Amino acid sequence: MIKAPDKPLTSLVNLEQPLSIEGYIEAGGYQGAEKALHHLSRAEVLTLVEDSTLKGRGGAGFPTGMKWKCVPMYEPGDVNAPECKYLVCNADEMEPGTFKDRVLLEGVPHQLIEAMIIAAYTIGAEKAYIFLRGEYHLAARRLQQAIDEAYRSNWLGENIQGTDIHLDLYLHSSAGRYICGEETALINALEGKRANPRAKPPFPQFSGLFGKPTVVNNVETLSNLPHILKHGADWFKGLSPDSDAGTKIYAACGRVKTPGTWELPMGATIREVLYDHGGGMLDGLKLKGLLPGGASTDFLLPEHLDTPMDFASIAKAGSRLGTGGLIVLDDHNCPVSMVLNLLQFFAQESCGWCTPCRDGTPWAVEVLSRIEQGQGSLDDLDTLAKLCDFMWLGKTHCALAPGAVEPLKSALKYFHDDFEQHIEQGCCPYQGGH
Amino acid sequence: MADIDPKKSAEKNGRQVSENQLTVYIDDQPYQVDKNDNLLAGVLANQLNLPYFCWHPSMGSVGACRQCAVTQYQDENDSRGRIVMACMTPVSDGMRIGLQEQHASEFREQVIAAMMTNHPHDCPVCAEGGECHLQDMTVMTGHSARHYSGKKRTFTNQYLGELVGHEMNRCITCYRCVRFYKDYAGGKDFDVYGSKNQVYFGRQTDGVLESEFSGNLVEVCPTGVFTNKLFSAHFTRKWDLQSAPSVCSHCAVGCNTSIGERYGAVRRVVNRYNEQLNGYFLCDRGRFGIGFVNGEQRIRKVSGIRQQSAEKLTKLDVAKALVHFKGQKFIGIGSGRASLEANAYLKKLVGSDGFCAGLTGRQMALAAQHKLALHRYPAPGIPEIEQSDLVLVIGEDITQTSPRIALAVRQALRNAGLAKAATIGIASWHDSAVRTVGGKLFSPLFSLQGMPTKLDDVCQQKLLLSPRETEHTLEVLNQQLRLLLGITSEQGKASAKGDISADRKAFISELIPMLLRAKNPLIISGWSHESAAVFAAINELMEILHSDACMGHQAGVGQEEKQDEATADKQPRAKLVLLPPQSNTTGLLHLSDAQTLSLEQVLSRLTKEQQTGDIVDGVIILENELPALSEQQAALLREQAETLIVVDHSQTPFTEMADILMPAAPVSEGDGHFVNYQGLCQRYYQVHASVLPVLDSWRWLNLIESSIFNAGAYGGQKPQQFKEVHSLTELDLYLSEQGIEWPFDSKELHREKQIARQSHRASGRTAQMANISVHETKTTQSPSSEFGFSMEGLAADAAPDRPFSWAPGWNSNQSVNMLPGQGADTSPKLDFANPNVLLESWPLVTEVEDETALSSQDKHSLTFIDHRQWFQNEWQSSVNPEFRMLCPGNQLIVASDYAREQSWQPGDYVAFSFSLPGEEHARQGIARLLCHDELPAHLVAGNLLAPGRSSGEGVIRLSPAQASDITLYQQAEQERLAQAKADKTALLERLKRADQTIPIRMVAGGLEDV
Repeated sequence: MIKAPDKPLTSLVNLEQPLSIEGYIEAGGYQGAEKALHHLSRAEVLTLVEDSTLKGRGGAGFPTGMKWKCVPMYEPGDVNAPECKYLVCNADEMEPGTFKDRVLLEGVPHQLIEAMIIAAYTIGAEKAYIFLRGEYHLAARRLQQAIDEAYRSNWLGENIQGTDIHLDLYLHSSAGRYICGEETALINALEGKRANPRAKPPFPQFSGLFGKPTVVNNVETLSNLPHILKHGADWFKGLSPDSDAGTKIYAACGRVKTPGTWELPMGATIREVLYDHGGGMLDGLKLKGLLPGGASTDFLLPEHLDTPMDFASIAKAGSRLGTGGLIVLDDHNCPVSMVLNLLQFFAQESCGWCTPCRDGTPWAVEVLSRIEQGQGSLDDLDTLAKLCDFMWLGKTHCALAPGAVEPLKSALKYFHDDFEQHIEQGCCPYQGGH
Repeated sequence: MADIDPKKSAEKNGRQVSENQLTVYIDDQPYQVDKNDNLLAGVLANQLNLPYFCWHPSMGSVGACRQCAVTQYQDENDSRGRIVMACMTPVSDGMRIGLQEQHASEFREQVIAAMMTNHPHDCPVCAEGGECHLQDMTVMTGHSARHYSGKKRTFTNQYLGELVGHEMNRCITCYRCVRFYKDYAGGKDFDVYGSKNQVYFGRQTDGVLESEFSGNLVEVCPTGVFTNKLFSAHFTRKWDLQSAPSVCSHCAVGCNTSIGERYGAVRRVVNRYNEQLNGYFLCDRGRFGIGFVNGEQRIRKVSGIRQQSAEKLTKLDVAKALVHFKGQKFIGIGSGRASLEANAYLKKLVGSDGFCAGLTGRQMALAAQHKLALHRYPAPGIPEIEQSDLVLVIGEDITQTSPRIALAVRQALRNAGLAKAATIGIASWHDSAVRTVGGKLFSPLFSLQGMPTKLDDVCQQKLLLSPRETEHTLEVLNQQLRLLLGITSEQGKASAKGDISADRKAFISELIPMLLRAKNPLIISGWSHESAAVFAAINELMEILHSDACMGHQAGVGQEEKQDEATADKQPRAKLVLLPPQSNTTGLLHLSDAQTLSLEQVLSRLTKEQQTGDIVDGVIILENELPALSEQQAALLREQAETLIVVDHSQTPFTEMADILMPAAPVSEGDGHFVNYQGLCQRYYQVHASVLPVLDSWRWLNLIESSIFNAGAYGGQKPQQFKEVHSLTELDLYLSEQGIEWPFDSKELHREKQIARQSHRASGRTAQMANISVHETKTTQSPSSEFGFSMEGLAADAAPDRPFSWAPGWNSNQSVNMLPGQGADTSPKLDFANPNVLLESWPLVTEVEDETALSSQDKHSLTFIDHRQWFQNEWQSSVNPEFRMLCPGNQLIVASDYAREQSWQPGDYVAFSFSLPGEEHARQGIARLLCHDELPAHLVAGNLLAPGRSSGEGVIRLSPAQASDITLYQQAEQERLAQAKADKTALLERLKRADQTIPIRMVAGGLEDV
């Protein structure tokens, strides 16, 4: 019996040359899937995942067991049963400042395949897709190779490992839209339609890909499954001292000494991530603020450094855990320029479906550009505040525009002086300040 | 806060509180809303103002524009509430919402402000200005000042054909166009492209829109992106239009329209909402086909009548010209495009034995079967069609002959998806969710056609067959059904002979169980094949489906599934729609009786008169171009008729030959009723007074009666008291006094005031003739009409009387949502009693199957299937220059295999030759070849014939075309197109010139008023 690892997700990661299926099995791989397929009923796996309190790692933190539980299950021969159910892995990692899934995709592809076998088995899906970010060419190659190996070793295909379980797994490289990270937009894209988010209800669990019951899970979320199966729910909960179970792959980028990703127990503090692992700020720079979980989260300040990075604590501090990838702003970089850059990204990536997002984000870009160029007025700050309200949750079709608002709104709160200086001085006070 | 008008609460507005209604508190006032509605529809139904863009009553909700935000409160103690989109919110009893709450109200204004960051400020030059939903909504939200200082995004527009204009910069991205064109109407060449704030609606490349519903883009677009090019070319603002309720004269569906005119020229046709028929949508033939009333081919002068004064024609002139014929015996030929009144009047004048419906013997046999069907199986309206859960289309490309029905069928096919969505609690109005759940799940459509159609993409099973094969397949279907249900064949009815092919067998065995299981099956056919045998087989199929045996079987099947339903379900389920070709063909069926003559009988009566002593002196042709007659037959008719009186609005071969030609009023200048395919008598009203001597044909007939048929001079019949009639109501009264079965309650309608033909003006009137005089010319006075040529007057209280759609604050066609609906006020429905007399006169003649003849044909002899596109399918509209420009020239569709065998490529030119029944010489010519993979090798579909001219069992021969012939043909085609273009320009110039010299008319109607 191999000792239960404290960094289950990344312990087998090898970014130079990921393990082949033989190597992966030798290292204890496919034991979780083996256990699920041969020894546990679907309901037992579901209970196990529910007990583990695993939450989605894509950003929203929705309990995985609860998501799966909504999938309608049918007795064999039920006339109402759909001809097919689908599992989709959301590997469209396009959130700025986030690169945690890439480590898992490039470093240990078989872990994801094993996880998808478990998930597909649990929800009764016989077809699965990995929806991969278009730019992840290396991951695409490695995943495809792993999928081929898995087919050859009968971990995919018909009658997996002598059971009556079938699973076909397809790799789909995205044509590249941020909105495809939204699960229903992803489903539309996978169907060959415009990547617009769908109205909910119906939720994908009832009517997802091609109108069939579908579950969409994030790479990191899924990758926990083999280990939960192998070591149990209590072990998983014990990994973290925090209320959120398991480990999390945190990351830091910006002008820190050693940017990168680190698997830490859920609830590690921002300080731990940024200073113990990221090495702190580059010499001569001070921390001005940070986005704790990708571009679509609110700024936090140095005063929040000791906040544990779990869903509840970050929310309490006024932001969101998101993907757990820190984007760090230093005191030599202009916060207005940073927010402008982010808003340009969101305006570019708006799908164009609903008015607040489609016309609101470019409007914010227009105002921010003027302020950044020193041509803003104090009225513009009111306009920005109004736009933040205009694009807030409940008023838009999906979460893209509210996500775009988060850095803008918090910047207006925390860096108000910087905005005013731009307006008063008629130029960007940070220009040439590198 | 100007956008809310808390007018009436539920108690005050007197709405019926039924079990379908529940109470919603809007700003603390209780209102009744339909429990199946979404909140937005419920709010609008209470005539409360709530702005919206992407929602459409027929297309449902998608939640894109976010304009209809309201505040929803948990309970009466909740003062904060939360913003929800009304269109995406189901209603629940006791729910509390706020329209006036400030946060939601500000948000609605911001939505407009956001849209205005890109919408250009070009209202003054925009064709939509004055009837723009975006303008109305902007005013409603109170948005008045601009805060955005950036640049607006711009697009390149596309050429979408001669009918619809494109101005993408005005787009506010509500997605209604693509949802209509692609999702609702099944169009394939229009989509949405791009993303972010660069979303583009159009085609992949410039080109003519392919859908026969493209004109609805103009109405569904909330602003001026899509405009009616024909209207724009001779433009006037909505508030300068004089409108009248009308009925489309281009097919038998009878869609309700509103025709707008200014200064005696018709400017446009828009949809007139009728919840029991066409709803919100028209086809392009109905919308753009009206041009013929302004056309060059219109007849505007009498001939054969000597005028005393050069300026005007008097009654005396007419009487003098006609008096020679007093007491003569006439045959009258009616028409499917003339009003019911005119046809009935003509029949009264010439007597039953002298009346011809303008139909051939073949068509009369068809009509007899059709009348039987109308008598037995009342035809469903469009809303009922949309409820069908199985559709069987037989031998009629409804997408091209009666497009509005095809659009309804397309909606019916969605019922399977709607039912699936309902099982997980998704309401039918939630369009995007229903489409997500339904996916490509369609209710079954079975199709037996002679040619590929535009419904094939949603067809479960289809067969491409010749009319004869269709008939045979139906016979086998009937036979198998009878066997299955244990019905013995009556009177030893011959059982279907011979074997059928495997694909036909498969079709039938797939159809039968679904047909028996369906709750609302619908069968549709039409006159395209002119096959009485097919209609007879359909009647028999209906008889089987309505038999006790069938209902017993269905109840039995129902029992297995659900016991309680089986007992409730005793009504026959199957419905039948038979589509005749013209707007009033059904009216002709009503008038046809045992003595009604066929065209062949007319000709033989004319030629045999000497022998029998049954003298016929002349023929009156009422608004009929008689396309079914060959040139020889037409010449014969002329030759044999001593006197030929023609009443028509446009030139036909017979107007040239007529001894006396009387210019008739077309639909826009006259009054009358058309009887639609269901037998509904729908009234169309005069839109503008005709310029004399153009008169309603029934007015001409009144003059003819006074001179020729007056005072018992005719054929020894009982003398009748002749009466001069001055209005349609008087005529209806007169006709019913004459003992004619008349469907109308002919009481004079007396309103205190006339209904206004014009909307309230949104601005000053456009100074069209300011270079001549700043005074507007005096408008026509019409004291006897229900409608006044003025913006002053009553607003119509019911939809059938509504000249235009307008409500306070709602200048666009969306105002229809704020107006009361149809109510109980429906058009009278004709009763098709005694169908048997017609059947006895025109029994079904079983045509001898000539298999040997077919098999002995050489392989170049193919069966010709008549197939024209929508713009060529009706005679009146096909003269429009725009429709002629759409016309692709001669086209023949052959099987791809056959083409390969002949080494022909799609696009090649071939020479054709085929003979029509009654024509001595074969028709020959050049046609462009199209190929279709699924067409059987022995069929050719093509557009070589004029509407109304049947090919019979036409045999066509194809051969390679000579290069010189091709060149000649291409030149002729180019000339034809150039001519159409030149005609278009000339027409427009004439109309614009005419605007400068408008006759001041005082009183409409009558002869001596000029």
